[in-house]
Amino acid sequence: MEQPLYLIPLFPLIGFLLNGLLLGRLGKKTISFIACTSVGLSFLFGLKFFFDLLSLPDTARIIENVFFTWIPAGQFHVNVAFLLDPLSAVMVLVVSGVSFIIHIYSIGYMHDDAGYGRYFTYLNLFVFSMLMLVLADNYLLMFVGWEGVGLCSYLLIGFWFEKKSASDAGKKAFIVNRIGDFGFLLGMFIIFWQTGSLDFKTALDPAVAHSVFAVGGGMITAATLLMFLGATGKSAQIPLYVWLPDAMEGPTPVSALIHAATMVTAGVYMIARSNVLYMMAPATMAVVAIVGVATAIFAGSIALAQNDIKRVLAYSTVSQLGYMFTACGVAAFSAGIFHLMTHAFFKALLFLGSGSVIHAMAGQQDMRYMGGLKKRMPITFWTFLIATLAITGIPGLSGFFSKDEILWKSFSSDYGSIWIWLIGLITAGMTAFYMFRLVFLTFYGEERMDSHTREHLHESPKVMTVPLSILAVLSVIGGYVGIPHILGGDNRFEKFLEPVMKGVHHSVEGEHALASAAHNGSTELILMVGSVVLVAVFIYLAYHFYIKNIAAAGKLRQRFSGLHKIIYGKYFVDELYNAVIVQPLVVGSKFLWKIFDVLIIDGFINGMAVIIGDMSTGLRPAQSGILRTYTTIFLVGVIVILGIVLIFG
Amino acid sequence: MPDYNLRLIIPEIFLFLWALFIIAFDLGTKRKNPKLIGYLTMGGIAATAVLLYLYHGGISFNNMFKSDPLALFFKVIFLGSAFMAVGSSFDIIAQKIKNHRGEFFGLVLFSTVGMMFLASAGELISLYIGLELTTIPLFILAAYYKDDRISVEAGLKYLVIGAFSSAILLYGLSLLYGLSGTTDIVMMKINLALLYLNTNGIGWALLMAIVMVLAGIGFKLALVPFHMWAPDVYQGAPTPITALLSVGSKAAGVVAFMRIFIDGLYGFADAVMFPLDWGNIVAVLAAAAMILGNISALRQKNIKRMLAYSSIAQIGYVMVGMVAVSELGVGSVGYYMFIYLFANMGAFAVATIFNDNTGSDSIASYAGLSKSSPMISAFMAIFLLSLAGIPPLAGFAAKFFVFAAGIQAGYTWLVILALLTAVVSLYYYANVIKMMYFAPDNPTIKLNTPLSANIVLIIGVAGLIIFGVYPEPILNFALDTARVFGF
Amino acid sequence: MDQYLSVLIFLLVGVGIVLFTFFIARLIRPHNPYKEKNQTYECAEAPVGNSWVKFNNHFYIFALIFVVFDVEAVFLFPWAVAFGQLGLFALVEMIIFIAILVFGLYYAWKKGVLKWV
Repeated sequence: MEQPLYLIPLFPLIGFLLNGLLLGRLGKKTISFIACTSVGLSFLFGLKFFFDLLSLPDTARIIENVFFTWIPAGQFHVNVAFLLDPLSAVMVLVVSGVSFIIHIYSIGYMHDDAGYGRYFTYLNLFVFSMLMLVLADNYLLMFVGWEGVGLCSYLLIGFWFEKKSASDAGKKAFIVNRIGDFGFLLGMFIIFWQTGSLDFKTALDPAVAHSVFAVGGGMITAATLLMFLGATGKSAQIPLYVWLPDAMEGPTPVSALIHAATMVTAGVYMIARSNVLYMMAPATMAVVAIVGVATAIFAGSIALAQNDIKRVLAYSTVSQLGYMFTACGVAAFSAGIFHLMTHAFFKALLFLGSGSVIHAMAGQQDMRYMGGLKKRMPITFWTFLIATLAITGIPGLSGFFSKDEILWKSFSSDYGSIWIWLIGLITAGMTAFYMFRLVFLTFYGEERMDSHTREHLHESPKVMTVPLSILAVLSVIGGYVGIPHILGGDNRFEKFLEPVMKGVHHSVEGEHALASAAHNGSTELILMVGSVVLVAVFIYLAYHFYIKNIAAAGKLRQRFSGLHKIIYGKYFVDELYNAVIVQPLVVGSKFLWKIFDVLIIDGFINGMAVIIGDMSTGLRPAQSGILRTYTTIFLVGVIVILGIVLIFG
Repeated sequence: MPDYNLRLIIPEIFLFLWALFIIAFDLGTKRKNPKLIGYLTMGGIAATAVLLYLYHGGISFNNMFKSDPLALFFKVIFLGSAFMAVGSSFDIIAQKIKNHRGEFFGLVLFSTVGMMFLASAGELISLYIGLELTTIPLFILAAYYKDDRISVEAGLKYLVIGAFSSAILLYGLSLLYGLSGTTDIVMMKINLALLYLNTNGIGWALLMAIVMVLAGIGFKLALVPFHMWAPDVYQGAPTPITALLSVGSKAAGVVAFMRIFIDGLYGFADAVMFPLDWGNIVAVLAAAAMILGNISALRQKNIKRMLAYSSIAQIGYVMVGMVAVSELGVGSVGYYMFIYLFANMGAFAVATIFNDNTGSDSIASYAGLSKSSPMISAFMAIFLLSLAGIPPLAGFAAKFFVFAAGIQAGYTWLVILALLTAVVSLYYYANVIKMMYFAPDNPTIKLNTPLSANIVLIIGVAGLIIFGVYPEPILNFALDTARVFGF
Repeated sequence: MDQYLSVLIFLLVGVGIVLFTFFIARLIRPHNPYKEKNQTYECAEAPVGNSWVKFNNHFYIFALIFVVFDVEAVFLFPWAVAFGQLGLFALVEMIIFIAILVFGLYYAWKKGVLKWV
């Protein structure tokens, strides 16, 4: 089916051009009107084409739109062409929908910022690039979007460049991403070299792929691993995740949109898109799963001890992205995309909520100076709580379904293992702990801010709280499209994506995998209940240490003279808990963060930069400016080359 | 009178006479109006382009002059770079050059004529003459700020090393002549192959010839290790001349390289016939250029020096396509140079404008430029991002083709290296952008640009965006040039 | 390689003859240096001051202009000899050639190069 799909990315592009070219000549109202309308129109067109797609029979759900031939050079035939299939449809709706909500929110959040026009210009460019990325029907065009979002991310992280850390963080993100891109490009070259095409239709056709690549062969493994390197850059996985925590220097809506909901999930999308190739490289799948789950627990544990509200969320994002990769690695691509979608809702909500808090706190991001905001900002609090419940996986909310799906698949899939499941489970516990720690520290307890800030505390304006509420609704209901069989649903989300996941289909066809999944119904249920219980326990622990304990300590001080023994006894129990559970967690977390994260991985990447930079300085003496030296080097060059050539020739 | 088809060199004749006219005009008019002379020069270049379109296609002067697609393609690049260099030099002429204004433009045109003859040379001697005619005016132009020590030094350095490399080139060419008995490149290809197959022991003489010619042309290209002159000369020369050096003169080197190596020494490009082929030698030099150019650029504080090292690195990327010796290889190199024209001329034009207004070339002084001159900053960002190869700007497509050609020809290691160094290159390009956009602003003045410079900037940006999104016409044209070599 | 052997021999002999002549001269010449004899030869005049002095740029420019017309003359001779066979085409070509050179002279004149300052 052919439809004018180009309409989807067109409007943000127009918005970008209008706002960009007329920068400084438009009023704030006009700017935000242009920006929001353009994204809104994208969303509406996305919806329209989505329903067109639904009207097609299951097997033929593809809408194409060849815009024009981009590169016509003989064997290089690349079109600017768009492809809407179930996978890209989900992405388009998530991207344009969440973007629209965040655009609206930004009107309020950025209201007093000097760079208002610049902000919306970049934001529109971002939406355009992201839509190009997900709508592209070939790798090259996808790469164009891929780089475009990277550029926007760079511009937006460094948006508040008065802070030196911000512009440095922007540059770091840009360059770390380029390292990933290097892998992506090389992988792309290999695919082109072998299959002769970069079109998804050809290169990702199981028949073509199987005719040129050997399953598990070196070439396919290399190609998929290199592309995974690209994904680790964009989606902030070990070892290239270092840029994401720093990226929090950008405005909070940007963190919500780019560094939580959309751009960082591009890597997951790319791998799900390439599932045909990945399924042919079991070694790569193992790497993806291991890197994913390792990142999940690693980042999750770092989040335990962070005091900056946005940093907790940043590490949490890295951790959740790890989940998505784990899903891809165990061949549960649709579960990964499912989690991508629900995560987009609740993580965007969490960031926007934290933005609302920071807004009210006049820029304060340290949770140690917050507390008791529940009464002051009820809407923010309740929406934030919903998102927190969703991310921790409380039954009935969206995160529960998607996270549980991933855990179950990592346990039951042929590619999974009990260890992956176990680590995933522990991470789920950690998630519950740090998220509720965040909620309790921020919204409960004493008000620890200074009096000046306290006086100015206020709930955010409607333009900010309405988007929060919409996202809260989505965070609740978003999961109901994919209720698993075991709970009486029929996992429509997975069914919907099935035509795209040809690789999975191809390998399990006629095999026992599907049957065994149904067989293990009771196991699935047990695991599900187990994870819910674990989450509940960790929530309680957070409650215990960040609410109850503090209260107990307060009482202790009051009744200093009475009931020694009981209090002492209680204190002792608390101490024990504290010593056995909390302190190791905090110390371990701090260790991972300070030593591993900051020192080793970050240090390695910065160190590389320093070394290369020093080489640059080291090369200077040769460029002495003395003509005699130059001629000598010229001549020596000739002689050395001649000598080498004559000796080896 | 056999084979004197003068029609084919009408564009060259016209441009040459126009150069004389420009000088005479400057001489004859009492009221010196530099702008008028500048526009006349630009007009002359445009007219030459039209003539080129009318009179091309064919061979004349017994194979000495070939007006084939390759020549045509590169002549467009030369005229483009001359046009943009002249366009961005109006303020310099008005402010810094009091005497000999007409000669400035005249010499640019003379050099361009040399490039054009070079591109059409089907034979070693006319190739050499073309090369000299290209270079000698540039010696003078590099030293055009007579009272500026750095500029004079630049001119002198360029002259000495140019003469030096010219001698080496000539030696190499004479060896080729001695071995093949002809200066005609096509005949040379045949004779060398026959001679190599029939005789033992010419291997080392041929290798010497190859290395010497490589050194001679490597000087024009600023290919490592023949690049040492470039940073100093680029820094000292008037900025539009630097731009011309880095684009036009380099493209001339590229086309000379193609004529001699891909055509004349075609048989010795890979190891089938020859144990140590020039393909591998050039690949190693390209690798060295990419590493050294990119790494040296990192810590540069002067924008012209930074761009000098960047252009050393860029030629490394070009050579990746060159060693492929294939249709895609030749086509991608042509495309690369064409795109490089827009990006590099544009970047230098901004540097010129900035210097005219502030008198500074240091990267640090670009801080906060985006506030005072948002348009020019945006343009500069586009030029630099294209040089770094960020899609959808044309620089990305150019790099993509060159690398694809390299992969196709089996130079995987070189492409991996190229991609890695491209990561490094982003660092210093982004650094300028960071300065313009993300640095607390110095009190920068709003930049005033003459109309001609605006034209140059708009051509540059339009070229990068249009040919990035829609590369078809240029790419087909570039691939068409590969027919010249029989691919 | 064989044909290059003769070149090599030629080179060696050439260098050899020069060295041999110097050697013979050294053998048979009288050796009697005195002050006047060691002086730099300058057209039989007694040299004044150091020979490392700055020359006026104009010398070079005059010389350059002279060289141009020198070369022109070199071209004119063969042209004149073969003029009978070449016909009108060659006449026009030579007129253009000379016109360009005349323009050069005019240019130099106008720029004041020919005026000795």
